[in-house]
Amino acid sequence: MGRLRAIETRPSGATGGGLLGRPGLPAPTGADRGAPITAGDVAIRLDHVEKRFPGSGRAAVEDLSLDIPAGQLVALVGPSGCGKTTTLRMINRLIEPSGGRIEVDGVDVRSLAEHELRRGIGYVIQQAGLFPHRTIADNIATVPKLLRWDRARIRARVDELVELVGLDEELLGRYPAALSGGQQQRVGVARALAADPPVLLMDEPYSAVDPIVRAHLQDELLALQRRLHKTVVLVTHDIDEAIKLADQVAILDVGGVLEQYGPPAELLRAPASPFVESFLGRERALRRMALLTVADAHPQRGAVVDATAPVDEVRQVMQAHRTDWVGVLDGQRMRGWIDEASLAGARTAGAAGPRPFAAWVQPETALREALDTIVQSATRVAVVLRDGDLYEGMVTIDDIARAMER
Amino acid sequence: MRDRPFLEWDWVLDHLAEIRAATLEHLRLTVIAVVLGVVLAAALSAVALRWRRTLAPIAWVTGVIYTIPSLALFTFLVPIFGLGSTVAAEIALVGYTLLILIRNIVAGVDGVDPAVRDAADGMGYGRWHRLVAVELPLAVPAIIAGIRIAAVTTVGLVTVTGLIGLGGYGSFIDAGLKRQFPTQIVLGGGLSVIMATVIDVALVGLERLLTPWRRSPTQPLAEPEPLAGVLG
Repeated sequence: MGRLRAIETRPSGATGGGLLGRPGLPAPTGADRGAPITAGDVAIRLDHVEKRFPGSGRAAVEDLSLDIPAGQLVALVGPSGCGKTTTLRMINRLIEPSGGRIEVDGVDVRSLAEHELRRGIGYVIQQAGLFPHRTIADNIATVPKLLRWDRARIRARVDELVELVGLDEELLGRYPAALSGGQQQRVGVARALAADPPVLLMDEPYSAVDPIVRAHLQDELLALQRRLHKTVVLVTHDIDEAIKLADQVAILDVGGVLEQYGPPAELLRAPASPFVESFLGRERALRRMALLTVADAHPQRGAVVDATAPVDEVRQVMQAHRTDWVGVLDGQRMRGWIDEASLAGARTAGAAGPRPFAAWVQPETALREALDTIVQSATRVAVVLRDGDLYEGMVTIDDIARAMER
Repeated sequence: MRDRPFLEWDWVLDHLAEIRAATLEHLRLTVIAVVLGVVLAAALSAVALRWRRTLAPIAWVTGVIYTIPSLALFTFLVPIFGLGSTVAAEIALVGYTLLILIRNIVAGVDGVDPAVRDAADGMGYGRWHRLVAVELPLAVPAIIAGIRIAAVTTVGLVTVTGLIGLGGYGSFIDAGLKRQFPTQIVLGGGLSVIMATVIDVALVGLERLLTPWRRSPTQPLAEPEPLAGVLG
């Protein structure tokens, strides 16, 4: 058995939010995954909604029923012609349904005047759709102005939003043409959030920006959603975007047929139909690992001793775990690892000069990253540390495989 | 006429008061025509934009008006309104502005980025509010382009009204022709060109004033992207 090698594994906290899955939201557990949504939590309810465009034989949306839970980000995904954009636009009545009923917060959308309904729902579109003749500040202030807020309140709100979406304050006096695509999209989100609507509709918001900027904007949306907990309906043709961003994914087939609806990890674990399976694409297990966290793999205590443990006990623990190394704990804190060679001349584990672990992860690290760490580690084990050095346990490839079966 | 010089400055200096009066009259006839034309064209455009089916008939009628020779139209209106009638002149002048103005207003509004219109709807603008607050401001370049053509054309057409007994530069040309006096012809034509140019430049200035967002935008601060089409 080899010794622990120093390997190039950075703590996941340093790699940015993108790979972390969805920290902050409750991690899906075996028990509640795919559980039906209780009625009280529904923000948007589509009830047998139908849309036929005049002169078109086939219904754009045949008969769609969908409950969108409050405070969650729901992605509508599907091939072109699946009616996802039509469905989204029926929620704020940019398209009038031909049949069925749509409720937002328990209110039938047809009971409100169109403009009133829309002023209460945030709307973000592809390429942002900013008003070219208005400054960034005025663009953001669009809905508050329509709602006749007073000037001081609008000013304060614009400043707040600029900070929220991470825009440079210097841009406020400029016109949209002076901004890059990514900045315009941030302004689009700020404009949609201006009147603090509980519901946000996003229609392919990132399809017009390049992949690097897109990834940034997606991470920002996740961070924003962690703070705001809006009910977000996101239309995308990009299944990976849906998996990355959504709490629930609705996969639609042509004619608005709901093929499957559930958390991304659940879709990846058990696609409901061949259509869903082919739409999800390859490497489902790996992609699901990107959604589950180390905590889902239930880290085990592993080969550890207290710093005060005498050398004899250290050797016993090594034998019991069939390793040639042990972790040394100082109460809850992990001080590092020692092996047989370090024990020479020492009386306790703490005196043997523990060296820090290279292969370590955090409880919220995605399993995919943890797997990467583990396979690069000579010991095939990753130590789980919280807040830098608080010991949570160890995970192995077997633990990950078991988590994937759950 | 051949013997006389092109422009006799003595005559010009002797008739400054007359020239001033003709200039004011020419300007008055032009401004009334363009202003009324814009108002009428805006109303007709609003109808055409609201009820798309009316666009073709409106375009057809204004197109027919546009094809009538101006001299024929002015002389046709004289028996009805009398010689030297401003009303007769303005009916014709306004009629000629409509086609170009309506076309440019409708094209300008139609040319607004559909994404911008969609965003306006999604934000909760009503139809008319959207037209006034979003579409018209964005159509300003196209509308002003139409007004420029209409104004320049009108300045030229107003010279013809001299033939039906109205003042303005046309009266110089008319008198010059009758008296075989080149100075008056050159003066009437030349001043008319100058007025057209001045009005055109003024309208370009107005457009710049109304469209601050079109002035060369500065480079984005981050994530630089090519500014193709903006710099050109």
